[in-house]
Amino acid sequence: MSKHSALNTFGRSGNPAFTRNFENTESFSQTERMTLDGAVNKTAILLGLCFAGAFAGWNVPALTIPGLIIGTILAFVTIFRSPAKAGSTAPFYAAFEGMALGGITVFAEMQYPGIGIQAIGLTFGILASLLFCYKSGIIKPTENFRLMLFSATMGIFLLYLVSFIMSFFGPGIGFIHSNGIFGIGFSLFVVGIAALNLVLDFDFIEDGAEKGLPKYMEWYGAFSLMVTLVWLYIEILRLLMKLRSR
Amino acid sequence: MNSIFFGILTILSLFIFMKLGKIKASKKQMNRDDRINWSKRRKSSVQESRDGSKIIEGSAEEIDDETKQ
Repeated sequence: MSKHSALNTFGRSGNPAFTRNFENTESFSQTERMTLDGAVNKTAILLGLCFAGAFAGWNVPALTIPGLIIGTILAFVTIFRSPAKAGSTAPFYAAFEGMALGGITVFAEMQYPGIGIQAIGLTFGILASLLFCYKSGIIKPTENFRLMLFSATMGIFLLYLVSFIMSFFGPGIGFIHSNGIFGIGFSLFVVGIAALNLVLDFDFIEDGAEKGLPKYMEWYGAFSLMVTLVWLYIEILRLLMKLRSR
Repeated sequence: MNSIFFGILTILSLFIFMKLGKIKASKKQMNRDDRINWSKRRKSSVQESRDGSKIIEGSAEEIDDETKQ
């Protein structure tokens, strides 16, 4: 039992994909266990599918909305179904989300040429540098760290939800989408939170491999990493668009 | 120039991810007392019994009349 009552009540991670329970690992043989190699390779497969989907979305921007809707549904299916079945839905999630990202990037490129490659470069740059910081022990995720990220992620999610609902009745929460100091500051904050969620993903995968979780958790870990990367990419793209529009 | 720089950054970062991701984290990272326990089952402090009544975990404390006052 954690000393934080919020953790006990609402779960232990900012990433909803991690609030599922681990299975009993004792009955699995060595070849059926999760490894770092496996998780990284599966992340590479999902990234490849995402890029393939993005290529389709880039060339046929009409796929953006269907890709976004189907991708979101598949994300929820993967999160709320058994983690054992993540391998069957995560590749489709990556492909459809890629379609949406490809279409979104085309629209951004039309307004600000060269912004897509900047966002991709920064996203993977952050991924690599945070992985180095995690592996070397510079950043040490703790329960407090996770509680802080959980609160911040939920806060951002609620703010976006309220803004989305309010947009049907008026201008919504305009300042979070503005290119003023506050809007840029907010985007920087969200990018920071999304980036720190990567550290939780790394820790989840590392811990799973260390404890020898079942093999299918490799797909689950890779899927969680993809969800965070997609969010990070979108937020970086939004931040760059705000900066370029000034 | 812009595209070349960010393109190289992307490829380099992916290469680092593929290589570094497969290496175990340092002892400094792994041998800590305050590590997140991912395997700990999410357990609510409030457990619902079959009939729907709520049982709150924790030690019971007797309150007598003197304590109340």
